[in-house]
Amino acid sequence: MRIFSLLLIAVFFLFAGFSCSKDNGESDKLTISVIPKGTTQEFWKSIHAGAVKASQELDVNILWVGPEKEDDRQQQITLINNQIIGQVDGIVLAPLDDMAIRRPVKSAVDKNIPVVIVDSGLKDSEDVYTSFIATDNFEGGKIAGRQLGEMLEGNGKVILLRYNEGSASTDKREAGFMEAIAEFSGIEVVSDEQYAGVTKATAQQASENLILRFRDEQGTLGFDGIFCPNESSTYGMLQALQRNRLEGQVKFVGFDASPALIEGLEKGEIHGLVVQNPFNMGYLGVKTMVAHLNGQPVEKRIDTGVHFITQENMTQPDMQELIKPDLDKWLKEN
Amino acid sequence: MNWKILNKFGPFLALLFVYVFFALLDAKITTFTALETMLLQTVIVGISAIGMTLVIIAGGIDLAAGSIIALGSVVVALLLESFQFSPLVAALGGIGAGALCGIFNGLLITRLRLVPFIVTLGSLLIVRGVAKGLSGSIPINVGHTPLSNLLAALPADQKWQLLPSGAWLMIILAALIAGMLRYTKLGRHIFAVGSNEQTARLCGVAVERVKLFVYTAAGAFSGISGLMLMSYQEQGDPTGAIGLELDVIAAVVIGGGSLNGGEGSILGSIIGAVIMTVIRTGCQLNGWPPWVTQIVTGLVIVLAVLVDQLRHRQTA
Repeated sequence: MRIFSLLLIAVFFLFAGFSCSKDNGESDKLTISVIPKGTTQEFWKSIHAGAVKASQELDVNILWVGPEKEDDRQQQITLINNQIIGQVDGIVLAPLDDMAIRRPVKSAVDKNIPVVIVDSGLKDSEDVYTSFIATDNFEGGKIAGRQLGEMLEGNGKVILLRYNEGSASTDKREAGFMEAIAEFSGIEVVSDEQYAGVTKATAQQASENLILRFRDEQGTLGFDGIFCPNESSTYGMLQALQRNRLEGQVKFVGFDASPALIEGLEKGEIHGLVVQNPFNMGYLGVKTMVAHLNGQPVEKRIDTGVHFITQENMTQPDMQELIKPDLDKWLKEN
Repeated sequence: MNWKILNKFGPFLALLFVYVFFALLDAKITTFTALETMLLQTVIVGISAIGMTLVIIAGGIDLAAGSIIALGSVVVALLLESFQFSPLVAALGGIGAGALCGIFNGLLITRLRLVPFIVTLGSLLIVRGVAKGLSGSIPINVGHTPLSNLLAALPADQKWQLLPSGAWLMIILAALIAGMLRYTKLGRHIFAVGSNEQTARLCGVAVERVKLFVYTAAGAFSGISGLMLMSYQEQGDPTGAIGLELDVIAAVVIGGGSLNGGEGSILGSIIGAVIMTVIRTGCQLNGWPPWVTQIVTGLVIVLAVLVDQLRHRQTA
């Protein structure tokens, strides 16, 4: 009986000790909020996975909070304000809008919560945020233009199917593409005024109508190359080409990767994809924030780089890691 | 008398006008391929518009249509991919999921006497959330299945079918429901409920049962549209068809449906959906940017409502 109660007391203290040390640990650990633009796309999941990896390496807590509805600026502003109220140590943010999100970021920084911007820029705020970590979208577009031009050996007609009005990152890719393609004097851009719209179905409709517009009565296509600046527009175009049994017949360069696009690349229906490194964005976002909080100097602008993936180089291990990242490894444990 | 003719043939005249306008600009829109493409691009909105017409005639509204279409596509893709069901079972599953959403709306509206606008605004979010949850928030790729042929242009050896099966399905469903509205007691009751609910109730119409029917039907039709979206994209897409309910409602309104209830026609709604496709395709064939398409479509909607109003003033 006595032994039993002694045991009980011992166990009690053991637990108390555990919970105490845990409490202390929790309050010592830095807490960093990571706020994406949305939560549903593969792209954001990769950022999440990268952030989790950094948090485990550096032993910090991360809070992953994204807008329920994508493209909801109001909700993202509310989320940022909530983090200020919650007194987190720092915020890693992918702003939905380069203007509308400026004020909440400023008020966070004013309350001594530093902000690292990832993925998309914030206008005229270099003195406000700590660091900007993103793909150089203009450069990504230029790579696409240069590669497509070389595939066509500098001759032919190409189509640019834009993504959506008012999307800063894809605007830059489109501008980069137009600049690079203009250097090939033998290449003519026959259409650059059409937009895919936000869903894949609208992208597919716009693509079908482009094919309809440029195909003559004998069935020959009036264009030789296509560029689409994001995942949904590339997917819509791929579907439209397949449905018209034209897959593989024109040089087709897309942007971003998803299982369906990788399959298209394997089958030779897509000739190249410009891919970003969202995992690295999330990883470096958290890492840079922790370095800053620890008083180390950080770089103001970090380029996470783009790669051009083709059928030939897609089997290389470093490319495989980009197009088929092992997200479950990082996201399951949470 | 004038107005009666305009009411009856208004949508058709509008379609004729829009089509001739674009045909004069670019003859490509008159080719068989163009007509087939436009018809296929109308099917998703068109089938959902059949159900929406019933709801609007009964004096209600279904804002959840777009979300139900997305859920339908996700359920079909899940049944095919994760559970390896046959295409037919998967298709029926998607339609069933849509019908369930419709029953949910209908029960809330009839049993709890809530306003349809608010109920369906709520289920717009709920159903979208369910679609995202079921799919883990990422699109479910199914690749090429027999279902893909529902909305694919016919290959050369099958031209005897005239139209792809998805288009036939829309036409047959439209004819069936139009017949139901015109010739059956249920059809007349739907009009009665939308024209004057109190009078209908006093005349012995089972108002609640009629309402439950129209919302369930609307859910099921949106479920079929979801199947069509899956076929079109070869993917169950939880973020697809966002805002599509507005296109569906616009199709019904262009086709002569009145948001005050008691008016609307299936044929009109299908024509309304076709008009919107013709405008979009016509603008894109001419290389006009999307803002032109939006302005033109908006003008047609306003014009349709204006005609509706003028006619009411005339008859009043």
